[in-house]
Amino acid sequence: MKQYNLLIVDDEQRFADMLARRLNLRGCNCEVCYSGREALNILKQKKMHLILLDLYLPDIYGTEVLTRIRKNDERTPVIIVTGHGTEKDRRECMQRGAYAFMHKPVGIDELMTILAEIGEKSA
Amino acid sequence: MIGRFRQLLGSLRPEFYHRTSEHLNPYFTFTDYRKIWGVGIFLLAVTALLPLMVVTVIYYQLIQKSVDSELILRTERVASNARRAVTFFLEERLNALRFTVNEIDYGRLTNPDDFAELLRNLKLGFGGLTDLSVISHAGIQVAYAGPFHLEGKDYSKQAWFAECQNCNFYVSEIFRGYRDLPHIIIAVKSFRPDGTHFILRATLETERLIQTLSSYKTGEHADIFLASRSGIMQTPSKFYGDLFEKMALPVPDYSPRTQTVMAADGQGRPIITGYAFISTQIADTPFILMVTKQKAGMMGVWLELRSKINWLVGFSIMVIIIVIAITCTFMVNKLYLADKAKAEAMAVMEQNNQLASIGQLAAGVAHEINNPLALINETAGYVKDLFVIKEQYSKDDELLENIDYILEAVARCGTITRQLLGFSRKFDVKIQRVNLNEVISDVLVFHNKEAEYRNVNVFVDISKDIPEIETDRGKLQQVLLNLVSNAFQAVDNGCNLDITALPEGVNKVSITICDNGCGMPEENLSKIFEPFFTTKERGKGTGLGLTITYGLVKKLHGNISVKSRENEGTEFIITLPIHLQEEMRKDENSFGR
Repeated sequence: MKQYNLLIVDDEQRFADMLARRLNLRGCNCEVCYSGREALNILKQKKMHLILLDLYLPDIYGTEVLTRIRKNDERTPVIIVTGHGTEKDRRECMQRGAYAFMHKPVGIDELMTILAEIGEKSA
Repeated sequence: MIGRFRQLLGSLRPEFYHRTSEHLNPYFTFTDYRKIWGVGIFLLAVTALLPLMVVTVIYYQLIQKSVDSELILRTERVASNARRAVTFFLEERLNALRFTVNEIDYGRLTNPDDFAELLRNLKLGFGGLTDLSVISHAGIQVAYAGPFHLEGKDYSKQAWFAECQNCNFYVSEIFRGYRDLPHIIIAVKSFRPDGTHFILRATLETERLIQTLSSYKTGEHADIFLASRSGIMQTPSKFYGDLFEKMALPVPDYSPRTQTVMAADGQGRPIITGYAFISTQIADTPFILMVTKQKAGMMGVWLELRSKINWLVGFSIMVIIIVIAITCTFMVNKLYLADKAKAEAMAVMEQNNQLASIGQLAAGVAHEINNPLALINETAGYVKDLFVIKEQYSKDDELLENIDYILEAVARCGTITRQLLGFSRKFDVKIQRVNLNEVISDVLVFHNKEAEYRNVNVFVDISKDIPEIETDRGKLQQVLLNLVSNAFQAVDNGCNLDITALPEGVNKVSITICDNGCGMPEENLSKIFEPFFTTKERGKGTGLGLTITYGLVKKLHGNISVKSRENEGTEFIITLPIHLQEEMRKDENSFGR
């Protein structure tokens, strides 16, 4: 199986770490960061296959992070993973180019399916 | 019979009279509509009827006064005319006697033949004379002409003789005397050339006087008679005593003129009495002329008119009261219905507000739970991953099983929070043209087998006038599925389920899902849309089904309402706009979004 580079952006540190560990166990290569700025910095340096982005981040709101990501990179899929998402957020995120909008808690298998789907598309 | 009458009366009673909507009481502006109705009728009736009554009373009094004064005038006229006649009767005869004593000398008067001749002539000229006599100054009757033999009778001791000697003239009361016939004596004193005096006396029959009086009598309620100043009847009366009896009326006070008074007679009947003390130019007389009229009899015409007026006034009062009662009932009922509609709207609004705030709370709770839930999920998932992937744990089935329990619980929590969010959050609405018939058929497919097995009769009646509607097919389907599932749970085997759809106005359709199942008590009706409210057994229902249905209908810009009676059935009515897109645009404009 191809090794995917993933970026997990979530201020809930333990959640982000755990998710990263589980995905790593499934053969992914996850990086974790806890704020929007950090995420943008990492993305400047490294190309990712998939970004999992929380909305309620301490510095920049998730939708804004998404917009800034889309300025430099139109292709990398971004999945919004949030516990607070409203319909308005969902609409906005989809308009700004999110690949999917998921509510916490996220099923690992569901995530893996999406990853496989992305892998197929990019192949 | 009485039962049927009561039933009829009950059906005529306005709605406010037997209000049933006790649960709406806090929302009503007025509480006691019966009181408003009663006070309204009373005030209007008083305002309308008081002037009518006052005018009627004033009118009656005016008429009464005018009738009284007319009666008094007429009585006075009769009394006055009769007085003139009686005075003339006596005066004429007194004058005749005076003329006789002045014209004929004493010698001729005492000659029996001449005297008899004189009586004949006087009878011819005046009539009503019985006899004539000449009485000397010593009181001895010296000449007599007439049917009796009274020559030589001594009158010197009698009162009338003394009075005539003093006053020159005399008129007696009517009396019987020893002739035993009612008669009047009139006498005139005259002087002889030698200075002595004599008295010419005549006896008058009362027949003529009574006839004269009778000619002035008017109507059956009137009476006319003479009385003496001491109150003895001098002529017979119809109502107040026979001849020589004591008059049944009080003797009036002396007056030189004709007088009229209003009083009650001995039997309490109101009468008008005209009276006059008879006095000739030559001599005073002992007579009082009395004219009476009974008011009741004389006022017959007026009383008849008054009775007609009374009927008319009574009828008017009845019509006014009926009109006021009908108007008041109509107005108060309208007021009540408007108030009731307002109260119902307020109750619904409050329920909506409650649901909205519960929804907000639920959303808040759900959001807050989601993050820790996600953490549990990932942690437990990771532990499981370790067990599955790392060899050393893979054989420990019990641990795996326990972790599965955690994950299962998390999944359940996730479902609940998602459903809660589903109530408050707006999912994407995908608008498309939907044929109601198809949607309902699709929904019923899920229950076909059950309906067949349980012998539940499902009737679908979709009006042909309903066009395709623009709405979210999936959500509408979910709404109908929820309601139909509920209905299937509520009905017993062999019951009915009716699904009908009708256009409502130009822009809306209403869908009714009606079952004749177990229904529910009234107190549950206001709670059924609240989250976690359920009447099902513990663990069988989440209590979110109707909450979500409510949320979905709201999302489709519709309304849902419910009517139910315990053991009779339940009816859900959904009203949806035909053009959802338009409604959403309006909504966005009005909220400036």
